[in-house]
Amino acid sequence: MFETGVRQFRMAMSMVWGRRIDTRNIGRLVDDVLATLAEFGEPGADAQELLGGPLADPKAQQEFATRGLRRTARRLATASPFYARRLAAADVDLAKLDLAGLRAIPVTTKQDLVERPGDFLCTDVAAYLTTRTTGTTGRPAEIWLSRYEMELWPALGALGSVLREDLRPSDIMQVNVSSQATAAVHLTAASCRLARTGCRLLGVMAPDSALDSLAESGATLLFTYPSYLAELVTSARRRGMGPDDFKLRCVNLGGEVLSPSLDQAARQTLGVPQIEDSFSMTEVIPVTGRTCSQSHLHIDLNSGHTELIDLETGEPAAPGALGTVVITPYFPYRDCMPVFRYDTRDVARRLPDGPLSCEASGIPAISQILGKADSLLRLGPADVITPRQLIDAIEALPTSPWPARYRATAHGGRIQLTLPAAAITDYGEAAARRHFAEAGLDVDLTIVSDDQATSLRHTRSDLREATFNTQHALVGA
Amino acid sequence: MTTEPISLLQQTFTEFGVIMVGLIAVSACALFYFRHVRMERPPVGTFNGRDIGVLLVFISTLPFLYAVLPDWLITCLLVLTFTSSLFIGYKPVVGATRAWLGIGLLIGLNIWTSHHLMGSTAGWQLWWGELSILVGLGAIAVANLYVQGGMKLQYVAWFALALAVYDIIFATILPLTDKLVAGYLAHPLDPLLGMRFGIDNYGVGLGDLLIYALFLTATYKAYGAHAARLAFGLIVVVGGVVTAFVPFLLNFFDTELDLLVPSQAFFGPAAFLFYLWMKHRYGRERTMGEYRASTDSAALTTTPAQPAPAPEPASV
Repeated sequence: MFETGVRQFRMAMSMVWGRRIDTRNIGRLVDDVLATLAEFGEPGADAQELLGGPLADPKAQQEFATRGLRRTARRLATASPFYARRLAAADVDLAKLDLAGLRAIPVTTKQDLVERPGDFLCTDVAAYLTTRTTGTTGRPAEIWLSRYEMELWPALGALGSVLREDLRPSDIMQVNVSSQATAAVHLTAASCRLARTGCRLLGVMAPDSALDSLAESGATLLFTYPSYLAELVTSARRRGMGPDDFKLRCVNLGGEVLSPSLDQAARQTLGVPQIEDSFSMTEVIPVTGRTCSQSHLHIDLNSGHTELIDLETGEPAAPGALGTVVITPYFPYRDCMPVFRYDTRDVARRLPDGPLSCEASGIPAISQILGKADSLLRLGPADVITPRQLIDAIEALPTSPWPARYRATAHGGRIQLTLPAAAITDYGEAAARRHFAEAGLDVDLTIVSDDQATSLRHTRSDLREATFNTQHALVGA
Repeated sequence: MTTEPISLLQQTFTEFGVIMVGLIAVSACALFYFRHVRMERPPVGTFNGRDIGVLLVFISTLPFLYAVLPDWLITCLLVLTFTSSLFIGYKPVVGATRAWLGIGLLIGLNIWTSHHLMGSTAGWQLWWGELSILVGLGAIAVANLYVQGGMKLQYVAWFALALAVYDIIFATILPLTDKLVAGYLAHPLDPLLGMRFGIDNYGVGLGDLLIYALFLTATYKAYGAHAARLAFGLIVVVGGVVTAFVPFLLNFFDTELDLLVPSQAFFGPAAFLFYLWMKHRYGRERTMGEYRASTDSAALTTTPAQPAPAPEPASV
């Protein structure tokens, strides 16, 4: 108990002063949390502050953000060749940088990262491991990570997860994310190690094999993409599997849009009581967000600063308006290849001004991610259709066409929607049009053969990984 | 404990009475508190073996601090210790305002009586009575802070055994305790529970009371009511009877008086053996979580902490 207090104090001081955090100290704190849960069955009072930080007061949040941004900008001005140039060109006084003055610094785009990756590497840190974006929305970006980052992030993740009991020593987590997502795979495995949770890293394998593994291993946690979950649910239904075949208590999803229909189907078919739809992105790790029960996205305040900027003007989005999510991970949470004001191109809607009433009301929120900015359909000056609207409507079709495969374009103020034939089999085009109209979507339907389905819209479940049992016969073998 | 050669048997029974009142009141009240009051605890942390080490280092250096530091500084440290332990212990019972008022009254009165009422037996008795309440409340609060903080019976038993060694060393090899008790008597917040009868002072130390309260509550938490009754019997027999009558027996062999009895030298080994027997008899100790879920727990429940979002493994 005494030494736990010292550890918490050391960690708090590192966070307050913005110094690199002792990762072994956090690892020992994870052990302390596990010992606490083993003894008491729950964390003690004020666990909320330990998890979310004592930042319920908006003024305190602004001061914290200002300090974090100044600290991060000062370091980047000396250690990052890209940002040394960018900050000098913006001609801002970094000692006086504040949230309003931040807008003088242009956003960083994925194109910047792809074209000049070496310029983003900080000169005072040794690169250790590289991870790439999956490239489902364009050319992949490559991010270098330091040893410190690879130790810090799982430690912080494990600390939060064991406190919330998202990870327990009695759990087994099955991980069905792409092996190319090096950081996600490594961090998940390391978090499980710290939390003493069993971890099965399987990759994006054949859904039937993943289902067999889920059922046979008694996995209690599943970490995957919504599109892959869709394939699992579809396969399970085809095989007649139901809740009694699984022991899942939570499914953690990220990286894609999760529709209410798929969420509900997964709960029913897999018997999973909790589905966590979280936000994270390779370029801005370790900043992550969680979706609350009122479908707000709450992005963590402690590890980075989040802005929602208007797609046209670059100014803060007005209440109710769409904007692109711009994130700055703070030093010392990101130190090898950091980004500053990174434009994720993930679109969300700013919530109306006023206090929130959800369970995470102390943390500012935006709407759930509605899709990529480049995928918005503009039917008129004020009429914008988001990918989430389309995916929600398509996946709500009675034919259960999961994951949604479609192509959508705007033409003459209407949506030209292309679907594979299986999406409306035994349902009909007329009924499908009515279905979309009820969802507020005025569509012209085009139906193509099912073998073109994958090419209509790529999903992460397409990053299929073969085994000797599932791959095609090797020529000459 | 300071005595005069009036009647050894009378002194022994008086001391026995004081010890019994002290240990029964403090142990029973600690157990009552444990069953009915739920203390707030930090979000993370449970009492472990290394904490016992920290406590032992602190206790071992205490006699030297008493010898080295000026009285006013010792009083300040004692005020800080008593204030924090009493506030943590009694805020859940009477609320913050009443707790502050009560603590201020008790400590203020003790400091005032220490300086103004020592000229008469009645004055001494008022000082002892008020100090005993303060020390008893402190022992009850700290015992619950530790046991409700996750201190297992195993740690209590080892702690008692270590204190037995400490008591023997500081009573024989480095006889500091006797001098400190005699030298610090009548100072503010003297960590003793006792009473004055005639010209004699009779008392039992805060540390001893704390061990008895810890042992009883930790046994109850670990193994339930039946085991607690056995532990209570051990406390009465070894902590009360043996401690009180040892001076009487020793005085048959020499006529030295003013004995300070190293109680833990007797109670520590007995408590440790008793723990080993209970472990053999009942098996693994209950955790606090298991105790709370059991029918033995009558404590008021508090609102469980609501977790909030925080960093988690990046997904893609």
